[in-house]
Amino acid sequence: MAAMFSQNPLMNGPNYSFNDAPKVNAPEGARQHRFDPYTDNGGSTLAIAGADFTIMAGDTRHTSGYSINSRYYPKVFKIGGTTADQHDANLVLSVVGFAADGEALKERLDAICKMYRYRHGKPMSVKACAQRLSTILYQKRFFPYYVYAILGGLDEEGKGAVYSYDPVGSYEREQCRAGGAAASLIMPFLDNQVNFKNQYVPGSGEGHALQERERKPLSRNEVEVLVKDAFDGAVERHIEVGDGLQMMVITKDGIEEILLPLKKD
Amino acid sequence: MSSPFSINGGACVAMVGKDCVAIACDLRLGLQALTVSNNFPKIFQYGDNVFLGLTGLATDVATVSDLFRYKVNMYRLREERHIAPTTFANLVSSSLYERRFGPYFVSPVVAGLEAKTGKPFICGFDSIGCIDFAKDFIVSGTATEQLFGMCESLWEPDLGPDELFETISQALLNAVDRDALSGWGAHVYIIEKDKVTKRLLKGRQD
Repeated sequence: MAAMFSQNPLMNGPNYSFNDAPKVNAPEGARQHRFDPYTDNGGSTLAIAGADFTIMAGDTRHTSGYSINSRYYPKVFKIGGTTADQHDANLVLSVVGFAADGEALKERLDAICKMYRYRHGKPMSVKACAQRLSTILYQKRFFPYYVYAILGGLDEEGKGAVYSYDPVGSYEREQCRAGGAAASLIMPFLDNQVNFKNQYVPGSGEGHALQERERKPLSRNEVEVLVKDAFDGAVERHIEVGDGLQMMVITKDGIEEILLPLKKD
Repeated sequence: MSSPFSINGGACVAMVGKDCVAIACDLRLGLQALTVSNNFPKIFQYGDNVFLGLTGLATDVATVSDLFRYKVNMYRLREERHIAPTTFANLVSSSLYERRFGPYFVSPVVAGLEAKTGKPFICGFDSIGCIDFAKDFIVSGTATEQLFGMCESLWEPDLGPDELFETISQALLNAVDRDALSGWGAHVYIIEKDKVTKRLLKGRQD
């Protein structure tokens, strides 16, 4: 296993905050000062767009290094409602990475969506909010929000929409996306089960002449099961993922929140 | 990126089924991002039902696979019988630990059936020979994370040979498609009591 060569704590081990990181090559008598403003708080997120719904999900564990700070620290948020309880919100934002930045980003986007509502007398569309989020992230190009954001909602035609971002605002609309610590565990599973990658019609040809299995949108129930299975797999093999699974189901009737237990070990 | 384990890239996975085991690997050989060959199998056979998968530094994959061919041949001549999977696993372990302070940069996987009982056996190792006995599956290579995600969600106990083939193939194919250093086709071995089926999968060529 490559593990024995990746034990350098500065590169792969627990992540240090501020100046408690080990000092390196400090000359005698010299003091090294540094400001390390980022921490990785672990966790994973997942979003799948259906025909007339979108499901956004995230685990609720909050970690730093090998410690669990909280077993219920949500990273999936309703955005752009008129009130604090977000009962009439139409968008969902998930943020994973540095939790403080995630929180700050959520607050900022929520405020912007609210202002939009007051000015225009209608809620912000996912498409508009997606572009705005990209702009917000890029504005901090040289001191980024250390987060992988996913924005979900319903588009103008009522179809499920998922927009995924890198920390500096590069974005794309997709059918599905996994983010965060266990993204590499979940993403290939999604390729296979949502987009039917590497699945072919039996006996339809040989080699690359094979006919791909037809892509059909999944039902809400199928997607919920898929999300649970994806996280159960991730929990088993990633220490930063676990405790609780928070799911937001966005339909034309509003946003439904579901909380399911995950393994706590 | 300059870790010896991820210069050449590659992936390998083994799974247990009902009275059968499967082992599969990709075919890529690369130098960092440059693909040099798309026909570099990483699975080697050391008896009727003993298989070894080797990922990591390609030069060590070649060296170690040859070293075990020599050692297994010597074992067979001395003992006048084929080597058992468990015996072979211990041979791998002790041979790797011999190089404790200058290891071969490989992550081996052993898969096989016990000759007498027909009991499935799989295990994995780190580069200095620590054995990881598993009841379900073993993954190794640059696509380990992706393989863990796939196997953890697709695998279930007591899969028959055909189901096991489909499971291991889908797990490998979808995993390597999310790893830039692995892919370019695959070899899949399904090992049953008195039958070994080897299949070549085309996969994405990019």
